[in-house]
Amino acid sequence: MLLSVEGLNTHYGRAHILQDMALTIAAGEVRVLLGRNGAGKSTTMKSIIGLVRPSAGRIAFDGVEIAGEEPHRIARRGLGYVPEDRRVFADLTVMENLEVGRQAARGGMRPWTPERLFELFPNLGRMRDRPGERMSGGEQQMLTIARTLMGNPRLVLLDEPSEGLAPVIVEQMANAILALKSEGLTILLAEQNLHFAGGVADSATVVEKGRVVWTGTMKALRADEAARTKYLAV
Amino acid sequence: MSVLVVQGLSKSFGGVQAVGDVSFAVSPGEMLALIGPNGAGKSTCFNMVGGQLNPDKGSVLLEGKPITGFSPRAISRAGVGRTFQITATFGSMTVRDNVQMALLSHHREIWQFWRPVAGRHLAEADALLAQVGLEAQADRATGVLAYGDLKRLELAIAMANRPRLLLMDEPTAGMAPVERVGLMKLTRRLATERGVAVLFTEHDMDVVFDVSDRILVLNRGVLIAEGDGDSIRANPAVREIYLGTGATSGGH
Amino acid sequence: MDSILPQLLTGLAGASSLFLVASGLTIIFGVTRIVNFSHGSLMMLGAYIGWSIMTRLPREPEWFVLGVIATALLTALIGVVLEVVVLRRVYRAPELFQLLATFGVVLVLQDVTLWLWGPVELPLPRGRWLRQFVDIAGSRFPLYDLILIAIGPMVLGLLWLLMSRTRWGTLVRAATLDREMVAALGVNQRTLFTTVFALGAGLAGLGGALSLPNSSANLNIDLTVITDAFVVVVVGGLGSLTGAFVASLLIGVLQAFGIVLVPKITLVLVFLVMAVVLVFRPNGLLGRPQTDAREATVAAPVIRAAPPELRALGVAALLLAVAAPFIVGEYYLTVLTDACVAILFAVSLHFMMGPGGMASFGHAAWFGIGAYAAGLAMQWIGAPMPVGLLAAPIVAGVVAALFGWFVVRLSGVYLSMLTLAFAQIVWAVCFQWVDVTGGDNGLLGLVRPEWAHDARVFYWLALALSVGGALLLRRMLYAPYGYALRAARDSAARARSIGLDVQSLRIVAIVIAGAACGLSGALFSYGKGSIFPTYITISHSVEALLMVLLGGLQTVAGPIIGALVYTGLADILVRSTDLWRLVLGAVIVLLVVAFPEGIAGAARRLWLRGREA
Repeated sequence: MLLSVEGLNTHYGRAHILQDMALTIAAGEVRVLLGRNGAGKSTTMKSIIGLVRPSAGRIAFDGVEIAGEEPHRIARRGLGYVPEDRRVFADLTVMENLEVGRQAARGGMRPWTPERLFELFPNLGRMRDRPGERMSGGEQQMLTIARTLMGNPRLVLLDEPSEGLAPVIVEQMANAILALKSEGLTILLAEQNLHFAGGVADSATVVEKGRVVWTGTMKALRADEAARTKYLAV
Repeated sequence: MSVLVVQGLSKSFGGVQAVGDVSFAVSPGEMLALIGPNGAGKSTCFNMVGGQLNPDKGSVLLEGKPITGFSPRAISRAGVGRTFQITATFGSMTVRDNVQMALLSHHREIWQFWRPVAGRHLAEADALLAQVGLEAQADRATGVLAYGDLKRLELAIAMANRPRLLLMDEPTAGMAPVERVGLMKLTRRLATERGVAVLFTEHDMDVVFDVSDRILVLNRGVLIAEGDGDSIRANPAVREIYLGTGATSGGH
Repeated sequence: MDSILPQLLTGLAGASSLFLVASGLTIIFGVTRIVNFSHGSLMMLGAYIGWSIMTRLPREPEWFVLGVIATALLTALIGVVLEVVVLRRVYRAPELFQLLATFGVVLVLQDVTLWLWGPVELPLPRGRWLRQFVDIAGSRFPLYDLILIAIGPMVLGLLWLLMSRTRWGTLVRAATLDREMVAALGVNQRTLFTTVFALGAGLAGLGGALSLPNSSANLNIDLTVITDAFVVVVVGGLGSLTGAFVASLLIGVLQAFGIVLVPKITLVLVFLVMAVVLVFRPNGLLGRPQTDAREATVAAPVIRAAPPELRALGVAALLLAVAAPFIVGEYYLTVLTDACVAILFAVSLHFMMGPGGMASFGHAAWFGIGAYAAGLAMQWIGAPMPVGLLAAPIVAGVVAALFGWFVVRLSGVYLSMLTLAFAQIVWAVCFQWVDVTGGDNGLLGLVRPEWAHDARVFYWLALALSVGGALLLRRMLYAPYGYALRAARDSAARARSIGLDVQSLRIVAIVIAGAACGLSGALFSYGKGSIFPTYITISHSVEALLMVLLGGLQTVAGPIIGALVYTGLADILVRSTDLWRLVLGAVIVLLVVAFPEGIAGAARRLWLRGREA
């Protein structure tokens, strides 16, 4: 397993957000975290990348325990994080945004360069010197993903990449994720858009109130009418 | 008669036209959805109706009276309620306090310095909370509410002002699919019961096609289509610039 | 006419020095979001360290350059120590607590400098090259000033290259916008913050060393410089280097000409310019609207009525206070009277700062206005004490209304800076308008009427007015107005959308706070029998902030507890040690690190533990 999370507990103040959260991802897998807002999807991701300090639990990345480490150390181990709500650096140009994300290449992987990223996101290549604040929502979302890829991560945490985007842009996003998957990238995706998730993910973990309530392959989820009705109301 | 009439609304930023010559109207009890790609001018349109932005050209009429260029406060006074894309409630108050605050403002009782707030307009506040199903949470801090509940609280706050028009900017953003439809069904009920016109922007096509009576499609600041769900779905231009194949949006 | 060019050149030389300090301040603010009050102290240290180094070196230019560089490096090192020991621990504390911590550092460094170098001004013996002149358009101009003029743009250019052409600079600009995201992308924030602070401190040290040939190292540099630097940074726009440069030129030249043209009101002139700039450009000349630094923010807790136990405690404390004159001696009665004044001083600041959400760095202005209103009323029309006590809040309230109209549109740090500027104007007027205010000598002979002559009677009067005032303000906070004010603070957009007039609510809060504070100023003056411009100093304003923040913003009891603790602490400190600033500063820093929500806030949290659903 590339990432395995066990018994993860996270508190905000007195609120117990994650309660014995658990999940695993094998190398090359795309897993989606499903669940309603406030179920703990974002908190799971923030706990993994270290932006939120878990109060208990184990997070092993490539066999190394990383729970409680500082975010920049975790990121340097090859974990990329793309936050929800598109946090591009508004004053910085596309190229500068990419520069902030740049980390040394990792052995065994073709390193990402701006040029390679522009093949994946052709729009960005046409606006290299445009500041982040003058880009549309869809372009910003692509830039945040490209910026994270500049760190040559082995695993990317993608927090609700389809949120607030026009359906036609969401389709482009899905295609980009499929392209990354074919490169061998491992992805943990948080989503509420089941249509979108269904098109890209291999497996799913459904969370409710900070606990895992269902886990299995995407195929199994499609077959499990009862689970979908109960947890996802679709 | 239409509650809201917008005529020839235009706005440019630094020479770039964000909204050009947009006109539409909303009737009492009607739910009108405004959709379009990111950056199409939906928010700009919305903010010109809500008073956050001043239009360069055009007029906004509320029940026949011009409110063009009024401040957000004056527009609220004129009978427009609104909810925000990112929820905005009064965090240092309880759920009930939030609604009481809106009621005090509605009854023009803000500039009072002596009699405490506690206990004022209680029945009315609780009735509003009951309507959105929050009566059990009245004494909780807003900070500990679930996201969906916050959205419903915003709705209760907006309704406290007895608005004629409700503006909802991406009302279901960040909510789970099941909550989305629930919130909009609730809005639908309130709109019908009270004859309130609702104008909302939205990216979730399930919600848009489920609850709206009519849909406007904006692209690059211009209205390119208007009609009911079926005609919008069938419109090739809308498919091209906005809806796509429907593969990731539930087949719409 | 022939004085214009030399004056202009003097102004430009001054502008360079200003820029060196302001650029460091603005870079540090950009990344860490800390308004570093101790930045002036770093420049002061630079001046002293520079003096120590350069008096030991030969007086040739090359040695001077070496000395200056060594000073900048040493100051940068001190900056690193400061960042690692203090600031790193308060990055997650609320903005105002950070400010308080850096003010604690100011106090500590003041005493440390005094202890190391003594109270005497230290001039640098100037080598021959430093006394050379250059002929420009027929007038002789000091060579060193010309060098200074060149240094400003040079430093700007180097900083610009550093920020826009290096990876470090890109990371710094990114961190200015969203430091959490920068960390998640694998950048070590700590190293970044420490290096930024080192750069800022180094620039301050450079400014201090370069100021030596024209002025001596002295203990007043810290607060003088920080005020000027604040003005420059705010006029230029927080976080903007070019803005800081333009503003330095503007302020530097203005000061140079002001001293010739209107010597008495130079300070007023500078602050007026700042006020005018901010009215037309609320974010400074080249600034942009401030966004939050994107840290997980904790919402203000719900305000609920105080628990009955606390009310009982309050009543008991009040009864004890009423009985105090029969228990304590004369000295402690004076301290207690001061405490009453402090309570009203702190409670009034809390009113606009807590529920109003408008932090004031210059609350002493209203204190001073109230005091002088009472004093002048007596001097001009022989008004007795009751009239004076009535005039003080009225005059302070009227001035506050005018001031409020100017500042109410500004947000956050800018509003706070303008309150500081305003307090400095009031101070300058009281200090420099000798004919009316008596200047430094103050207004003396403020007499109390026969019936209030007795110290005990006056104490009871002070207690009644202060507790009465505090209760009145509290009452307002639980009335619709207070709720609306809090609503406007919690979410201005939501407040407007339910029809609240946010600006009027805020202006009224400033007026109420100003009036109540004016009353405390008058009360204090009648207690002492005299009025001095020192009532309006920055330190006095910071005392009010300290009381409120020590007590905590979230509770009405907070400022009262803070006022009592602070008055007691200050009394004990001043009497027991010469190094009271050092101890007080250290205590402040420790308190901020230990209780980021204030004493009352921490007590409330412990009390409520497990009770909030």
